Parts: sequence; structure tokens; C-alpha cells
Amino acid sequence: MNRLKIATLTKYILVAFAIAILSFLAQSAFAQGEVEIALFLAVSIIAIGITYLTKISIPLKFFLPGLLFLAAFALGPVLYTLGMSGFQFQTGNYISKDAAIERIKLLGVQPDENGTTFDVLVGRSDSGDFALLASDPFVTKQYFISTQERLTRLDPLDLTLDSDGLASEAPGFKAFSNRELREVDQTLTTIRFKYEEPFFLQLEGSDLAAVKRQKLEYLSDQDQFRNLLTGELYSDNGRGNYVSEANLDDILQPGWRSPIWFSHYIDLFSDPKVREPLVKVFIWTIIFAFLTVLTQFALGLLVALAMNRPIWGRRIYRSIFILPYAMPSIMSILIWGGMFDTEFGAINNLFNSDVAWFQNPNFARAAVIIVNLWLGFPYFYLVTSGALQAIPSELSEAAAIDGASGKQTFWKITLPLLLQVLSPLLVASFAFNFNNFNLIYLLTGGGPRNDLDGEIAGATDILISYTYRIAFGTNIQNLGLASAISVIIFIIVASISLYGIRKSKVLESFK
Amino acid sequence: MIRFKSIAVAVAAALVGSVFMVPAQAQDKEILVWADETRGPNLTKVVEGKNDWVAGYKIVIRTFSSFDALKTAVDNATDLTGPDIIVGANDWVATGAKNGKLAPITLSNAVKNRFTPNNLFDLSYKGNLYGVPLDINNVAMIYNTKLVKSAPKSFGDMVNYYLANKSKQKLVAGLCVAGGGMSWGAHSILSALGGNAYVLKNGKVVTSGNPVPAEFSANVKKFLLAKNGKSNGFLPASDAGCKDNFLAGKVPFAIIGNWEWKDYVFKGFKMNLMPVPGVKPGTYGNMFGSVSGAMLTSYAAKRGVEAGAKDVLTKFFASTEGAIRYQSVELRPPAEKGAQQADLTAAQIGFGKAGSLAGIPQIGAILNGTAGSSSYWDLLPAFWTAVLVDGKNPAAEAKKLNDFFKKNIEAGVKDL
Repeated sequence: MNRLKIATLTKYILVAFAIAILSFLAQSAFAQGEVEIALFLAVSIIAIGITYLTKISIPLKFFLPGLLFLAAFALGPVLYTLGMSGFQFQTGNYISKDAAIERIKLLGVQPDENGTTFDVLVGRSDSGDFALLASDPFVTKQYFISTQERLTRLDPLDLTLDSDGLASEAPGFKAFSNRELREVDQTLTTIRFKYEEPFFLQLEGSDLAAVKRQKLEYLSDQDQFRNLLTGELYSDNGRGNYVSEANLDDILQPGWRSPIWFSHYIDLFSDPKVREPLVKVFIWTIIFAFLTVLTQFALGLLVALAMNRPIWGRRIYRSIFILPYAMPSIMSILIWGGMFDTEFGAINNLFNSDVAWFQNPNFARAAVIIVNLWLGFPYFYLVTSGALQAIPSELSEAAAIDGASGKQTFWKITLPLLLQVLSPLLVASFAFNFNNFNLIYLLTGGGPRNDLDGEIAGATDILISYTYRIAFGTNIQNLGLASAISVIIFIIVASISLYGIRKSKVLESFK
Repeated sequence: MIRFKSIAVAVAAALVGSVFMVPAQAQDKEILVWADETRGPNLTKVVEGKNDWVAGYKIVIRTFSSFDALKTAVDNATDLTGPDIIVGANDWVATGAKNGKLAPITLSNAVKNRFTPNNLFDLSYKGNLYGVPLDINNVAMIYNTKLVKSAPKSFGDMVNYYLANKSKQKLVAGLCVAGGGMSWGAHSILSALGGNAYVLKNGKVVTSGNPVPAEFSANVKKFLLAKNGKSNGFLPASDAGCKDNFLAGKVPFAIIGNWEWKDYVFKGFKMNLMPVPGVKPGTYGNMFGSVSGAMLTSYAAKRGVEAGAKDVLTKFFASTEGAIRYQSVELRPPAEKGAQQADLTAAQIGFGKAGSLAGIPQIGAILNGTAGSSSYWDLLPAFWTAVLVDGKNPAAEAKKLNDFFKKNIEAGVKDL
């Protein structure tokens, strides 16, 4: 009974702890405007409370953490990527439309042609309004007090001037202290102080004001911007930018993340600049994944067959063969990258050659296969070793009695049985290498790529590395297009994985 | 037990309800500055020594582990997490402005006059200035005085020296790029041989004319290739191992960056910095004389510290005293004219002189553009590989380079 009470108490403490942490995160997410994350966390809190504090479902008590993580880190990103694939989401089209309109309005002012500025003191006028005491003893030789409503010119003789000739005191004006200035920082920078029409004064810091005029005006009814100087109109082009109706190259920045629905998917098939490199990369991805699985399985099986016999030092050999699998792959890939270097690499030095491994497309592909073989064959060695043990020896004995040679026994009995057992693993390995980003990114970066021949994709780029470069690799980041390609990759890999699951008949045990 | 559970459910419900209670935003009059792993610690040293640059505001420096980490953080910044000022490269300005992350600033004439028009142009986009210049990023050529007794007067002098001494001194190359890579750093070589990323007339980019004229491929053939059309070994196509080889005395000439000169001084090398000499004596290859800048973000206004942030830019980053204090630890050539007169190291002076002799503005809108399918940053290294490694015809490859450059220039000029 005591044990039960302790267990129950422990459960309540853990549940309360989990709810407390999630509540803190949810509150933080909400404060930062991440409403979807806050709502998900809130739903999680409710789910945890109901699941663990009631008897609604015992199996759910075991499944719930996994379900929540699956939703947060698998389903969520997939849905977000799917959503973003329907948007114009790239450099210059990051923010929301409202934020873009606000920024364009702020940027839609221009200084006067002389770049006139005034040294100012910020304070209040006699009437209590925000005011600037402006001085320019050098260029325009003006002194005045400016509020939002009025400009009052001053005679320097009536003012107290400092050693630089700047007004420090004036009748009808009281300067702010530093503390007061800090408190009104946010307000002051948005105020337009009076100057000669159509110009106004805007603060640029706490002691400088610049003469500016409004250049762009937002027409909210028509959802257009108008250039007040030229009369030019800028309209929403449906792809996240306001564009001049007279000149399509004249685009107002910033743009916004605009929904363009299936446009990216259509571009994947209809735009040759997108389609051609994508097809080339897709073909190489299939070849790369296939060759990787074939070579890794072949070498792993060969080593397993060799180690299946009682040879001297077998344990030592086994440990050595596992080493590539045990070492962090990132380190191994970087070391291999150095070894393949054309001028200083160990491989060229060893063979006294000057093969440009990473500059020649075919050699770069070979390098990628070789490194992946080294990284992956220990895994297949381990699984095939286990699978070989599971094949009854009576079968090979019976085959030998029937007059079959060793080769025949291997090809007709051992290998088919191995493939039957290992085919789900082969399919899984294919799916893994289909998305083997680390290797390609660290070893070749997707290259070589002959930019001078207009190549966009590199010779060793696979779909995922190519997508990464579209999303993050250049100065023009096209996250929308990268999301669309990611969705295609997801569909392909999910199909391969489903096929593997069906083949392994894993789910049949649940029927 | 039921009562206990009820209490637990009630507590859980209360906690869920607290989700919708937004915590009050604390008054925050700090000016948050983001910088990378070299500038951040140096800026921190400066503000720890003096942090009253703007009355009522405290400068807080946040350091990122690398330049790339800083760039990623900037790309992912939001209204609530973003900084007020970013210390970064000038080619972030166009992207930052397009993405709405940077805010423009107007400087007084007195502050503008502390910098050259080129430096201010580097931090401008579509006529708006987005920050103040801090220091000049450039490369310069250094030569090993144990191998080469005097400064080379022409490109041919360097090639002749290499060919004459290759076997005797076991040289692995004649000139290599230790700093800046085969696109940014190697622009000096492209330019020394007669090409350029763009054609400038009176400081403005012109779209007429060829940035990579025929004389460039003729010079490549004459100075970089042997009679059989393959590389003569003078210029490696990659920068891998260049620094180590130069420090080991296996390469007589190297292009180094102004952020790494201390490594060479530590090894006993003299800072005999100069631009890469051109084909004709007295001419030089142009290098990008870009600036790093302190840039104002749009988050400063959202956080209610825009006026303070602008004051920090003009009274700290753009001030002579601020520049002197910062460069006394950062040790790069300052962009601020008053600080250029201060007590600088031989390296700072050397890089500054090389930049003033042969610097050209780094125009991100053109260099980053991919109207010609790839940007300058990928095209130039591809040229070196094609000609020096693959043995392709330099004239044909130079023509391709020229055509792509022209497309990028035409598109980039529209974005200026």
C-alpha cells in the first residue's frame, strides 16, 4: 500500500513538473507571438493532464509522449513545409504583408536634395507639445523651434549659444533631461516636426534631425502605393511585391510572403531552369542510393562470409571492421576529404597520381561512393553476420550431398535466404542514402559544378543537398521552392518506406 | 484520491490559463549589438573600458561563435529577439534591406565627412544608408623576403622568378591565395591580368564594355600556362594549403587578408604589403575594398530604442575616439578618417595603403546576382578550375565568364 502511495505521489510530481515546464514554454511562445506553438503546448498540457490523471486510457499513458513528439517534430515540420511550399518565400519576401506595407511607408520618405540636417535639442514647447530647438549656424544659418503643428523662427541674438554656435536655450522651449529622452525614445522617432512644405523634420538620434519629404503614399482602398513626385502607381503583383505599372523592374522593397499556391510545383515541371537540374539530380540520387546499398551490402556480406570461418585473430578483425561504424561520421568524412585533396592528399601521394578528385565530376562521384562504402559496410557486415547464423547449416549440407558446389550453394541457397531476411533493411538503407545529406555536404558540397557551362546543380548533388543550397546556400534564398522540392522528396521517401514496411510485414502482427 | 486528482486537474487548468497571461515587457534601455567571434570579444573589451558613449543607454554586445552563425541568427531574428545593431559585412545590406530587417539612417554632414563616399556607398541600398563603416576589409600581397629580395614590379617578374627558382628552391607555387578565397581574394589576380568583376568609370558601374576583355585570356595564356596549354604551376586553382606553404617558404608570394596578418608577423614575416602588380609595371590588380559596418536594424524601433541606437552609431561606432579604441584591439585598417591618423601597426598601414592604391567598391547587388545563372562568387573559381586544372581553352572560358558577368551587371545595376 505504501509503495502504491509513493508511486502515485511520484506520478503526480512528474506530471506537475511536466505541466509546469510546458506552461512556461507556452507562455513564452505566446509572448513572442508564436500562437500556433503556444496552442500546441496548451493542448499537450490538457492531454497530459487528462491521460495521466484519469483512467481514460491505459495504453495512451505509454503512447502519449511519443505521439506528442511525433506531432511536434515530425508532423508539424511536414505540415509547415507543405504550407510554405505554396508561398513566395524567398529573399525579399520574408515578412507579412502588413509588416511590408509598414516598412515601405517608413522607407517611402526621402531626404531633401541637399541632405539638410539640423543639430537639435529635444524637449517641449510652452504649450506642452514635443518640440525641437534646431540650429544650423553653418549652412542654412537657421534657428527655430519646431512642433508638429508650427515652426517658429528664432533670432540667434535671443538665444543662448554654446561654443559651436548651437542653441542651448531658447524662450518658449524646455529641453528634456537624458532620462526623459530615454522614456520618449519610441514616440519621438515616429513624430514629424514642422518644416517648410512639403518637407518635415524627423529625428535621427537624440540630437540630429533631417529634412525629409514623403515620397510614397499608400492608397489603402486600392491597395496601391503612389509616388507623390512622379504619380507612378505600384500595385500588388500577386507574388509578394508592389511593382510599378509602368516599369516591371521597379519593385518596392521589402516584399512579403505571398500565397502562390501550386506555382512552385508547376515550375518544377514547366520551368526548364528548375526542371533540368532537378531531373539530373534526381537521376544521380537514385544511382547513388542504389550503388551505395549494392556496394555496402556486397562488401559487408563478403567480410561476413570471410569472418564466418574459424580463423586466427577473428575477434581482432571483427573489432577493426566495426571501427568505421563506431567513429563519428562527420570526422571520418572530413578526414577523407583531406585524403582526396589533389595536391596534398594521401591518396594521390600514395599512388603518385594527380587525380583532381573533387574537380572532376566522375572522380567526385567515385569518391562519394568510396567514402560511403567505408562508412556503411560495417553495418551490413553486422546484420549479414547475424543473418548467416540464422540459416540452418542442414541446407548447405543437403546441397553438398546433392553435389552442389560452394558457389552454387551460395547463389542458390544462402543469398536468396539472406535477401528474404535483409530486404527490408536494404530498402531502409536505400531510403536513408536517398537523403544522405551529411556525406555530400561535408565531402564535396554537391560539386563539382561547372558554373561556366551554366550548371546549376553539382555533379554529386543529391536532392536534399540541392534543396539545401536553394534554401540556404546562396545569397538569394528561395525557401518556398525548396519546400516544394522537400515535399516531393518526402513523398518519394515515404513511398519507399511504406514499401519496406509492407515487405517486412511488420504491421501484420497488429492485425 | 478523487480530491487529490481534482486539485491536480485544477492546478493544471490554472497553468493552462496562465498561457494567456503575457508577461509585462521590461523597460529595456540597452542597445543590443550582435557581432561575430572576433569582433564581439574586441567590442566587449572596448565597452567594458568605457560604456557611457550615449547618456542613458548601455551598449550590450552579444558574440556569436562564427560569422556564419551570426548570419544565420540575423536571418532568423524576429521583432522580439532581434538586435538593435548588427556588426557585419557590407554585402548583408541589400539582403537585410530587402527582408525588412535593416532600417535606414541619415547622418549629418559632419559625420559623413569622416568617411569616403565609397565607404558610405558600400553600406547603402537604393539610395538609403543603413549603417556606419567600421573598418576596411581587403587583401594585399605579401612576399617572402628570404626568397625574394625586392618587391616585384610586374606580374611577369613574379612568374619569371617562380619559373627560374621552382626546382632550386622546391617551390610548390609562385603566387597563391591565402586569404579571401579564389573569388574575393583572387579578384586582384583577375584584375592584374586585365579582367574585372565590373567596369567602373568615374566611380560608377558602366554596363557597356567587357569586364573580361580578350587581353585577359591572352595574359592567362602567357603567364599562367605552359607551352602545352596546361598550368605552369605558378597559380594553384585552389587556396587549400596556401597559408601553410607560404609560411613554410615553399611559395614566394601570397595574397593575405587583413584579419590574419598577426599569424604572419608571429612567424617572422615582414608586412611588405602591396597590391598584386599588373602586367605593365606601375599598374596593379584591383582588390575589393569593402567595409564592415555597424548596421541599424528595424528591431530597434520596435524595442523603442531607435534614437538611442542611432546615437550609438554616430557617437561610438562613427566617432574618432570610438574607432581608435576599437581598432587598437581589432587591428584592422579603420574606415574613419580621424582614426586613420592614429598610431597604427605596420600591417594596418600597409593594408590601408594597398587599398587606397587599388581598391574598388564591392557592389553586392552585382556580385551576389545570379541573372547569368551563377554569381561572381561561383563563376571566378570555376574559371580557375576550368583553365588551370581541366586544361580548357582560356579564351573560350574567359568569353563565358565575360558573358555571365555582363548579365549579372545588367541585372545588378537595376537593383542599385
